[in-house]
Amino acid sequence: MLELDKISKSFGAVRALRDVSLEVRPHEVVGLIGENGAGKSTLMRILSGSMRPDAGAILIDGRQVVLRDPKRANEYGIAMVFQEQSLLLNMSVAENIFLAQEKPFMRLGAIDRRRMIEAARACLAKVGLDVDPAMKAGELDFAARQMVELAKALALEDRTDAPLTILLDEPTSILEAKDVAMLFERMRALKSRASFIFVSHRLEEVLEISDRVYVMKDGEVVAERLAAGVSAPDLHAMMVGREVKGEYYREARQSPPRADVVLEARGLSVAGAFRDVSFALRRGEVLGVAGVIGSGREELTRTLFGFLPQTSGTLLIDGRETVLKTPTQAVAAGIGYIPRERRIEGLVTDISIAANVTLARLDLAMRHGFIDHKREKSIAEYWINRLRIKTPSAAQLCRNLSGGNQQKVVLARWMAARSHILILDHPTRGLDVGAKEEVYDLIRDLSAAGAAIVLTSDTLEETIGLCHTILVMRDGAVTARFDAPARAKPKQVALLEHMV
Amino acid sequence: MAGAAAQQVSFGGLADRLRPYTPLFLLVFLIAGVNAAEPGFATLTTLSVVLSDASILFILAAGLTFVIMLGGIDLSVQAAASFASMIVAELLPRVDYAAFPATVLVGLAFGLASGFVHVKLRIPSFIATLAAAGVMTGLSLLMEDGRTVSLLDQGREESAWIAGAWLFGVPNVIVIAALVGAGGMLAQRYTRFGRYSAAIGAGEPAAIAAGIPVDRYKILAFGVSGAFAALAGVVLAARLSSGSPDLASQLLLPAIAAVIVGGTAITGGVGSIGRTVVGALIVSIVRIGMTFVGVDIFAQQIVFGAALIFAVFVTIDRSKIGVLK
Repeated sequence: MLELDKISKSFGAVRALRDVSLEVRPHEVVGLIGENGAGKSTLMRILSGSMRPDAGAILIDGRQVVLRDPKRANEYGIAMVFQEQSLLLNMSVAENIFLAQEKPFMRLGAIDRRRMIEAARACLAKVGLDVDPAMKAGELDFAARQMVELAKALALEDRTDAPLTILLDEPTSILEAKDVAMLFERMRALKSRASFIFVSHRLEEVLEISDRVYVMKDGEVVAERLAAGVSAPDLHAMMVGREVKGEYYREARQSPPRADVVLEARGLSVAGAFRDVSFALRRGEVLGVAGVIGSGREELTRTLFGFLPQTSGTLLIDGRETVLKTPTQAVAAGIGYIPRERRIEGLVTDISIAANVTLARLDLAMRHGFIDHKREKSIAEYWINRLRIKTPSAAQLCRNLSGGNQQKVVLARWMAARSHILILDHPTRGLDVGAKEEVYDLIRDLSAAGAAIVLTSDTLEETIGLCHTILVMRDGAVTARFDAPARAKPKQVALLEHMV
Repeated sequence: MAGAAAQQVSFGGLADRLRPYTPLFLLVFLIAGVNAAEPGFATLTTLSVVLSDASILFILAAGLTFVIMLGGIDLSVQAAASFASMIVAELLPRVDYAAFPATVLVGLAFGLASGFVHVKLRIPSFIATLAAAGVMTGLSLLMEDGRTVSLLDQGREESAWIAGAWLFGVPNVIVIAALVGAGGMLAQRYTRFGRYSAAIGAGEPAAIAAGIPVDRYKILAFGVSGAFAALAGVVLAARLSSGSPDLASQLLLPAIAAVIVGGTAITGGVGSIGRTVVGALIVSIVRIGMTFVGVDIFAQQIVFGAALIFAVFVTIDRSKIGVLK
């Protein structure tokens, strides 16, 4: 039904896609997995009409088509549901579903809202979402908004004769288990009217929902399997192309922290965000902070790096009482920060890798008060080698790197700056399995070398696996504290009951 | 996959790769073009006039380049240059050669002040600098009740180093501009200020999160712009042997055009002093070329407006703007 034939795409020197061919048949769910940098996002962008391939063909029912823009793709029945949602929160559900498609509801120049709401109700019924189409999208929770996105994609049915192909890009990364189950149930029910391409890093989920799975690696399709005939470890191996090690979080490498306390909080509070947080972080220790949105943990990490000075309580760095008013002060105190939005806060993507690596400590690349470009290049090359960053040279712009490599550049910066305290804010978000494992190894390297780490993560599993100690927060307060030694990790359930 | 790619309007593969060289091609094309229309343009004398004009424009535009690269704008350069011309004319009889550094320092001070207002009081740069321009123009008019100040014999003697032509007959202005250009390029490539300006312009949130004291460098960039504008004013005063409240009038648009047409994006991040050199040459050739060919001097502003729109269209990075307001 939908076929991609030898699609290729390059960005400058980087070959993002190389002769990619795949097929989507009617009434099926096709899973697409691969490391970051494997080309999945590029492929999705080409399919949804946001980007054009350099070579290759897209065929719908055997006929070659050119997807000039997303609107054209829509006309061919292709709709994309984005990872970061595309709903307008201040508009109603109905308005969102029919955004830019209001024409059928126009009467004498005005939109007939009642008809639009009725039509929206029908669309929502297709996905089994029972909400009032007149309510504002912003009032729905994330999972419900995900369903509205799906309904919006399905609304295409009424506008085109072409068979529907819905592209789902990481739809479950921020969903809770019960919402994932509901999404899958809906998808199965909808298979009679649409096919899906399901892109995800969650291998178990991909296997659960897909009929067939394509594995991509380094811009190529390296395998195509029936979901029934393959297991997650098999997929993992195909994705990374190497032996999958037993201990995912390198628990065996978790060594006891040293005695000296480098970062201490006593009754730390930021009015309106969190209150009375206390901990004593030692050299070599990884401290996890677990909590849902609104627990105050996001603000806590911002306070530890100077974005949000505390309104009361004490913060001691290396024994000295401090109030970090700006990130500049935090860096001067020896703290490094891996932000969750690496392309916005982590890297200056339009300058070179070398410039990004020395950004926090430019003095390391300076001689007699001027920048020594040769020295900077060798510093960058050292870290490129040490962290195995995949790039043709240190002069490459960071914009051209894959997510995992970009994250490594951010890490390189703080390692080059010899930060002894690191705040890791969702450090593996958006990274594939292989890149995640490399980050875990680096975290173990860093703590073995004596760095003190504060970690917030997307998954409880990752927090438990990586940390020595875990603080659980809820509604701005610390509700529990867990020790997580390598051989006696707490169970997720135990943490969950203090989180919600 | 790396998202948030810079989005400049694309003209297709080869055109995109040649894009950074467009200003250079344009420069060559213009020289050839004007010379074809009015032979006698590409002579040493005319070129010398063009280069002298370009030099003053370049000094003005060079400081502006730093501000624009940071993502801001300095609309006070014209007023600052005029103000500086008044100050140097007033000071020369009183303090001799010390008048020159003193005037540049005044320019620096006003620049730092607008930078401070923009950064610390969070007032958009176009308003902060527009206000600064108003203040400086007001002061210029107040100083001598709106009149010009002549550089008397003593003043003329002491500014011979600007107005003269000591090096093989090459006007000193050109040498001064060349030194300014070299200094600017070295600063960009080899100093903290240059590196941080580029980083702040290309990714301010990331620069903040890397610990760069962004506020400080932004204010400094405005200071530099003010200082260079003052230097341009000093040079103008020397060439015209007088200072006046509107000496540099009609130069704001060409100065901004020089930066943008040279290839520095108004959205910040991309750009260099080197590009502004080419931009200043292009603008000067157009200005002088237009006069050569007979275009009305007031109509020239129309040409600049159009050229500016086209240049911004070609260089602007839409991914930085999100929604164009």
